[in-house]
Amino acid sequence: MLCSFPNMGHNWPIFKTLLECVDCEVILPDPTNREAIKIGVKYSPEFVCFPFKAVLGDFKNALDKGADTLVMAIDCGPCRFGFYASVHERLLKEMGYDNFRLIPLDQADLLTFKWVKLLKKVGPTNQLTFAQKAIKAVQFFLKKAKHVEDIQTAEGVFRAYERNQGDTTRVVIKLIKQLDETNTLQGLREFRKVIKDTFNNIDVDKTHNPLRVGLSGEIHISLEPYVNLDLRRKLGEMGVLINQSLSVYDWVVHKFHLNYHRKWLEHLAHPHVPMDIGGECVWVLGEYIDTAQAGFSGFIHSYPFTCMPEVTARTIITNSLQKKYDLPVLYFSFDEQSGQEGFRTRLEAFVDLMTGRRNKKSEDQNLSKEKIDSTLYQHYGNNFYNECLNLIHKK
Amino acid sequence: METIKQSSSKKIKVGIPRALHYFKYFPFWKKLFDELDVEIVLTNPTNKKIVEEGVTHGFGELCLPVKVYYGHALNLINEHPDIDFLFVPRYVAELKESYFCPKWLSLPDVIKILPNCPKLLNFEVNVKEFPISTAVIELGRQLGKGRSKSLDAYKKAQHYYDEYITFLRKGVSVNYALRLVLRDLPFKMPKKKPQKKVKFLILGHAYNLFDRFVNLDFIKKFEDQDIEVITIENMPKWVFKDPVIVNNKLLNYWRHEEEIMQAVRYFLTKGRNEIDGVIFLISFACGPDSLISELIMHDLKTVKIPYLAIIIDEHSGDAGLLTRIQSFTDMIKRKIEREEKLKLEKNINIKTKV
Repeated sequence: MLCSFPNMGHNWPIFKTLLECVDCEVILPDPTNREAIKIGVKYSPEFVCFPFKAVLGDFKNALDKGADTLVMAIDCGPCRFGFYASVHERLLKEMGYDNFRLIPLDQADLLTFKWVKLLKKVGPTNQLTFAQKAIKAVQFFLKKAKHVEDIQTAEGVFRAYERNQGDTTRVVIKLIKQLDETNTLQGLREFRKVIKDTFNNIDVDKTHNPLRVGLSGEIHISLEPYVNLDLRRKLGEMGVLINQSLSVYDWVVHKFHLNYHRKWLEHLAHPHVPMDIGGECVWVLGEYIDTAQAGFSGFIHSYPFTCMPEVTARTIITNSLQKKYDLPVLYFSFDEQSGQEGFRTRLEAFVDLMTGRRNKKSEDQNLSKEKIDSTLYQHYGNNFYNECLNLIHKK
Repeated sequence: METIKQSSSKKIKVGIPRALHYFKYFPFWKKLFDELDVEIVLTNPTNKKIVEEGVTHGFGELCLPVKVYYGHALNLINEHPDIDFLFVPRYVAELKESYFCPKWLSLPDVIKILPNCPKLLNFEVNVKEFPISTAVIELGRQLGKGRSKSLDAYKKAQHYYDEYITFLRKGVSVNYALRLVLRDLPFKMPKKKPQKKVKFLILGHAYNLFDRFVNLDFIKKFEDQDIEVITIENMPKWVFKDPVIVNNKLLNYWRHEEEIMQAVRYFLTKGRNEIDGVIFLISFACGPDSLISELIMHDLKTVKIPYLAIIIDEHSGDAGLLTRIQSFTDMIKRKIEREEKLKLEKNINIKTKV
């Protein structure tokens, strides 16, 4: 059996681990590319949201490479995501692929343990060894997911300070590869240190005083660099520090009802949207308020074109929150028509605007730029984010 | 929430936008508010000004019905400053295991941030967490009414709404029934129109199909072409009993879409010869419909029922729409004529042989 799953940026090692630990062979689709998107657009319904098309392209690619089992997360929330798996299966059958099965990974509430079914289906037939292997799979999955999140956090911080452009990107690719090859518990335990050391070797310009930007939005769009036109990298190379708490680990822990950061965001967003309406709407609002209170310079919200929950979030931010918290916000709605240059121009203009605002603020209040940054809310972000900042300031 | 003490002479005024849920649940609300001694202020039927206002306020990616809703809400706020409350219900789930579109779930949240918006009446239908009667008691409390009175009102309203639904199932158009409700007339069948040759099933959300300005008087256009039209509201109750199984992995959680799929299922199986064509009216950027229409199209293709999907937005032109409808109906009429001709010829052939 050859298993495959769709792309989502640097998150492939974690899903790979999950499947490989239960003795399942894994084949990865090519990184999302133009061809895949083209195919996705050709066969998908006309105005379905963009991740649907990207994932369909990935699936076709994986099937062409010889996969016979596809794994796709499903949900039964109010947004379109719940329909993905079944409509994909149908479309792929119509495209002429008969010999495959699509296994859903139920993630509506991970505490119901429906996801064990997935492991059972792809796992070994021997029930005796299954429990042991499944536990190992979950353990490795969570650990690797946490490390990918850490790499993502460190990437956002270090790229803003790097002296030689491209260093951080290289380090990230190297680390992800290394993480994929680490398959012992001991190695995974020490991996956090590896991440720190590797990032610490980057030549950084400590005196640089970056703008801080919070990033949030729909999860697939935010995590897949081809789809969001490499937003994080482009922004980082303009010397902007990024914090994005959104990651697979963040999501999975939330689904185990243990994510207190998300609970905090829900609390912040409660007066504006009192319930989960699908997508990341509630948490985007929370994140916006949180970054505004932490004293960030800006916020970027990216989502697929016509995504129902995110569009609601956008409406609420523009009409009410922006007036209240006065944090500049930039929206990117991505679909297959997104163009590089227009995107770049908007980003540059946004960065210029934030710089101008900060300069004006320091003039008005007669403070140096460093002083303004020291007025920031000190305890913002997770531990690793603060550790990364310390690493840079200690140098 | 503080309650308003009601003076005996003056009734509380509640504004209701004539858009979105109005076309589905208005009879229920009307009876409910009548029983609670509340005066209802309705906006005018959608017109150009309302649409323009809504489109200016809402940004591009929202779907047309929500923009129109904005227009109605703004209209109420600007032209009726005397209303005490604005009624923007939050419909989350009407049945367990189901949802409405995310934009419905968050509707009060996006309306309450409009400039100068009066207080919203909190009415949340969420059967997953509490029954509708709880929501009605909460509604009554905000209007200064007691528990028993609210419950009584709820019972009567539900009864009236059930009557309304059975009346629709007899084949009456929704707009006609709503007119009766508005004028407080009893439900009486309209004069029977002569049976027509061609019959179409028109799919779509109530707020698209029955808002005559938004869809450019869509249904009338068919009637002008001498075509009988049925909508899913006119179909018998048993059709909507079992859930549609698209795929064993999929739980169809959207309520309206489920109804549409159930109706289509009936025509795919038993009622295959009852209709001559299916038309799906979709508003641009409608999330649920983008997937559902794809499923329906493939299903109808396999049983060879003609299908036309029409996507509307605020820029829709009358002439273009009319052309599409006419060409579709002409095609089907010609098909029927040809089939009849073939049948006749066959009969003649058989007779000559005999």
